Amino acid sequence: MADNQVSSVNADGMSVEDKKRRRFLTGITAGFGAVGGAFAVTPFVLSMTPSERAKNAGAPVQYDLSKIQAGQMVKVEWRGKPVVLLKRSDEMMAGLDKITDKLADPDSLSSNQPAYAQNNSRSDQSSPALLVMEAVCTHLGCSPVEKLAIGPDPQMGPDSQGGFFCPCHGSKFDLAGRVYKNVPATTNMPVPPFAIAGDMITIGEDGGRNA
Amino acid sequence: MKKITILLMSLTASLTLSSAAMAAGGGNEVKDKVYINMSDKAALQNGAKLFMNYCLACHSAQYSRYERVAEDLDIPLYQLKDNLMFTTEKPGDLMKTTMPAEDAKEWFGVAPPDLSLVSRVRKPDWIYTYLRAFYQDESTPSGWNNSLFANVAMPHAMYELQGVQRLVKSGVDVHGGDGHGEGIQLAEGQKLVGDAIFELQHPGKMSPAEFDKAIADLTAFLAYLGEPAQLKRKTIGVYTLGFLIILLLLCMMLKKEYWRDVH
Amino acid sequence: MAIHRHDNHKSANAFMQWVDDRFPATKVWNEHLAEYWAAKNFNFWYYFGSLAILVLVIQLLTGIFLTMHYKPDAQLAFASVEYIMRDVPYGWLVRYLHSTGASMFFVVVYLHMFRGVIYGSHREPRELVWLIGCVIFVALMAEAFMGYLLPWGNMSYWGAQVIISLFDVIPYFGPILTEWIRGDFVISDATLNRFFAFHVILLPLILVALVFLHLVALHHVGSNNPDGIDIFENLDENGKPVDGVPFFPHIVIKDLIGVCGFFIVYLGIVFFWPDLGGIFLEKDNFAPANPLQTPPDIVPLWYFTPFYSILRASTETLLMFFAWSSVAIAVLAALFTKVDLKYKIGFIIVGAIAWFVFMNSSGKAWGVILMGSAIVCFFLLPWLDRSPVKSIRYRSWPFKVALALFLVAFFILGYLGMNAPTPVKTVMAQVCTCIYFAFFILMPWFTSIGQTKPEPERVTYDAH
Repeated sequence: MADNQVSSVNADGMSVEDKKRRRFLTGITAGFGAVGGAFAVTPFVLSMTPSERAKNAGAPVQYDLSKIQAGQMVKVEWRGKPVVLLKRSDEMMAGLDKITDKLADPDSLSSNQPAYAQNNSRSDQSSPALLVMEAVCTHLGCSPVEKLAIGPDPQMGPDSQGGFFCPCHGSKFDLAGRVYKNVPATTNMPVPPFAIAGDMITIGEDGGRNA
Repeated sequence: MKKITILLMSLTASLTLSSAAMAAGGGNEVKDKVYINMSDKAALQNGAKLFMNYCLACHSAQYSRYERVAEDLDIPLYQLKDNLMFTTEKPGDLMKTTMPAEDAKEWFGVAPPDLSLVSRVRKPDWIYTYLRAFYQDESTPSGWNNSLFANVAMPHAMYELQGVQRLVKSGVDVHGGDGHGEGIQLAEGQKLVGDAIFELQHPGKMSPAEFDKAIADLTAFLAYLGEPAQLKRKTIGVYTLGFLIILLLLCMMLKKEYWRDVH
Repeated sequence: MAIHRHDNHKSANAFMQWVDDRFPATKVWNEHLAEYWAAKNFNFWYYFGSLAILVLVIQLLTGIFLTMHYKPDAQLAFASVEYIMRDVPYGWLVRYLHSTGASMFFVVVYLHMFRGVIYGSHREPRELVWLIGCVIFVALMAEAFMGYLLPWGNMSYWGAQVIISLFDVIPYFGPILTEWIRGDFVISDATLNRFFAFHVILLPLILVALVFLHLVALHHVGSNNPDGIDIFENLDENGKPVDGVPFFPHIVIKDLIGVCGFFIVYLGIVFFWPDLGGIFLEKDNFAPANPLQTPPDIVPLWYFTPFYSILRASTETLLMFFAWSSVAIAVLAALFTKVDLKYKIGFIIVGAIAWFVFMNSSGKAWGVILMGSAIVCFFLLPWLDRSPVKSIRYRSWPFKVALALFLVAFFILGYLGMNAPTPVKTVMAQVCTCIYFAFFILMPWFTSIGQTKPEPERVTYDAH
C-alpha cells in the first residue's frame, strides 16, 4: 500500500528483459489462440460441404445400355447434372476425324476426362462408339442441345458432322463433346468416371481404374 | 474467493438435491438398469443385426442411413448389403420400413413409431426392460401384453428368441424389504423384469441369459441410433478441453505479466 | 533495417491519420479501450459482462449456420433438425453449441445481474445501464422462447401452447390477441414460420442494438467496482484515476482468463453432456410435435422455471393470503405511522380495496400478473434500493439476510418449476413467491435500516 500514491500503471519503467518476456508471452498466447481459432472455424466450414443426403443423391447411377439403338441418345441424371449416353453410328464415328482441324482441343489435353477416355472418340476403348459425357457447357454451365444429324444445320454450319450446340452463348461441340475453335467455351465437355459390365453402365464409379 | 467457494458449494448441493429428487420422482415405472458401452463394437454390431432383422420390418429409423451405421459400427458394406438391407436400396438410403404406415395402423391399431430417437425419448433402461417384459395375454387383440407398457399394441416381435412368458405377478414392491429387491423369492424358472415376475412357458432359441444379453446389445444399438455423433463427440471433447486448459494457463501467465506493474 | 522499420512506422501513422480524418477510429479505440479506465480490483463477478457478449456472438454465428440447414415448416422442421444432427458434417456440433449456448447465455446473464445487485451497479448514476440491461433480459427471454419452438418437438409445441395461452387472461382482447399471435386457432405452421422470422431476424437485431446502447450508457458513466465507490475521485497528475487500469490491455487480458474458463465449462457440456440430463435438452422434445398428446411433465427450460413457478403458485389460497395481508398491512400502517388521520383512513380504504380485488379475481389472471410483475420488479430496483452504500461489502446486515432469503427462494422456485406440482410443492412455491415479492416490496425499508460500514477512499486491492 506504500506506493498507492503513484499511478497504477507504470509501463514505461520496464527493462529490456521485461519487454522481451512480455513480447514472448503475448506472441505465444496469440499464436496458440490463432490455432484454436482455426480449429474453431473448421466445423463451420465443413458444415457447408455436401451432406450425407447430398452425397447419397449423388451416388452412382446405373443404366441398361441395351435400351439404346445405334445413333440414339439418352440423358440420365447424375449429381443433378444431365449425362449424355450416345451410341454413335459408324457414320458419326467417321465424322469425328474429318473436323479435327476445326477443334480447339482435339486431343483433350486441357479437358476433364478419365485417362481411359482421353482419345479421339473420348470413349472407353472396350466400346468406342459409346459416348458418356456430362452435357454441361464448359463456358457457363448451360446444357447444350444435341444436333445429331449430319449435314447442314443453321447453328452448327453447312457441313456439320453432328454435335452439340449451346443455346446460351453459341458454343459448338462435336459428337465427342470436343469444343470448336472460336466459340466462348475453351475446353471439351467433361466425361464422368464410368464402368461397363455387360449391358449395364455405372456412371460415377469406375472401380478405381482411372487411378 | 471464500464467498465464491461457499456459493458454488451451496449451488452444487442444491443441484444434487434437485437431481436426486427428480430421480426419485420419475414416475412409478420400475426399470432394470442396463450398462451401455459405446466402444463395444461387437455388441453394437449384434444390436444392429437384431434391429435390422426384428425391428425394421415394422418400424423405421427414418433419420438414419445404412451406410453411416455400417461406417460407424465397422460393419463391412457388403455384409450390410447382402444381409441387412432391402434389395432395392442404396447404401446411403434412409432406414425406412417397407410397411406402409396405413397398413400398419390397420393391423396394430397405431402406426409403429419411428425408432431413430426412441432412446432419447424413452431412455435405455426403459427399452431394456420393455423388450424383456412381453407376456402372453389372451385378452388383448395381439395376444400379447407388456408389464411395463400395459395393453401395448405391439406384439412380441422376438418371441422365437425369448420363448413365451407367462405373468406370475406384477407390481412387485422391488424397493421394499431391504431396498434392493433381494428379498423377493423367485421360484425355479422364474424371472424378475422391472416389477413383474415371469415364468417361461415355452423356451425360445436363446436361454434367458442369452436373451438378456441380446436385448442389452439391441438397447446399445438404439442408444447409438439416437445420437450417432456421440461416438466421436467425446474424443473431440478431450482434445478441445486439453487445448483450452493450456490456453488458460498461458492467459493466466500473460495476465500476471501485464498486471505486474499494477500495485 | 532500422530505417526501413521507421519508414513502415511512418507510413502506418500516415494511413491512420488518413483514416482518422474520415472516421474516428483512434478516438473510439482510446475512449472505449485504451483510455477507458476500469477499477483495478475487478473480481470473478466482472467476467460475466464480456462473457455475455461472447455468448451473444456465439449464438449469432451458430444460428446463421443452423439457418443454412433448418426448414421452418411444420412438416419438415423436426426432420431438418435431425438432418443437422446426422447428415450435415459437424451439424451436431453446431446445433449443440447453439442449444447449450442458449442455456449458458442465461447462466451468464443471471450471474451478471447478480453482480449488479451485490455491488450496487444499478444505483445512481448507472440506472439507465441497469434499465437497458433489464430490457435485454426480457428480449433474451422472448428470443429463447421463440427459438424453443423451432425444433418442433412435442415440448416445443406444448410449451408455446401454454405460454401463448397466458394472453387469454387479458379481458376482452385476450382470445383475439392469442389468435393473432398464433396466426391460427392452434399452434401451427403459421406460428412456427413467424417465430422463425422473429427468432432469426427481429430479436437478434433488437438484442444487438440494446447491447450497443447498454455499452454506450456504461461507457458514459463508467464501470462500477466491487467497492461500489467512484474511482474518478482519486486522479493522478495526468488526470487518470489512480485506481484505474485501461480496459485494453489490462482488463481484456484478464477477461481472456474468464473466456478460457467459460469455454472449458461450455464445451465440456457440449462434448460430454449436451442434454445435461434433460435440463438443457428435454427428452420429450426428441419426439415430434403432436397436437393430440401433451407430454406428461410439461415444464419450460430451466431458465424460465422460477417465473413459471410463480405463475403456477397463484391459486385461491395465495390470493386469500394476499387479501388478508393487505388488510393487516393497512391496519398496522394506520396504527403505527405518525401521519395525519386522513392518511390513516386512506391506508384503511386502500387495504379494503386490495382485499376486495384479491378476493374477487381469478388465480389464473393473477398468475400472469404476478409472473409479469416478477420481471418488472427488476426494473424498479434502482429506486427501491435506499442504502447509503452500494457494495454488499459495506451494507447493513438486513440487506444481506434479505438477499440470501431471496436467492434461496429464487432457487427453490426454479427447482419447483422443473417438476410436476404436488400440494406440498405448491405451498412451497407460494411461500417462495411471497419471499420473492417481499424482497422487492420491503427493499426501501430494509435497505435503510441497520448500520452500514464506512466506504473506503480507495478500492480494496491486493496485488499479490
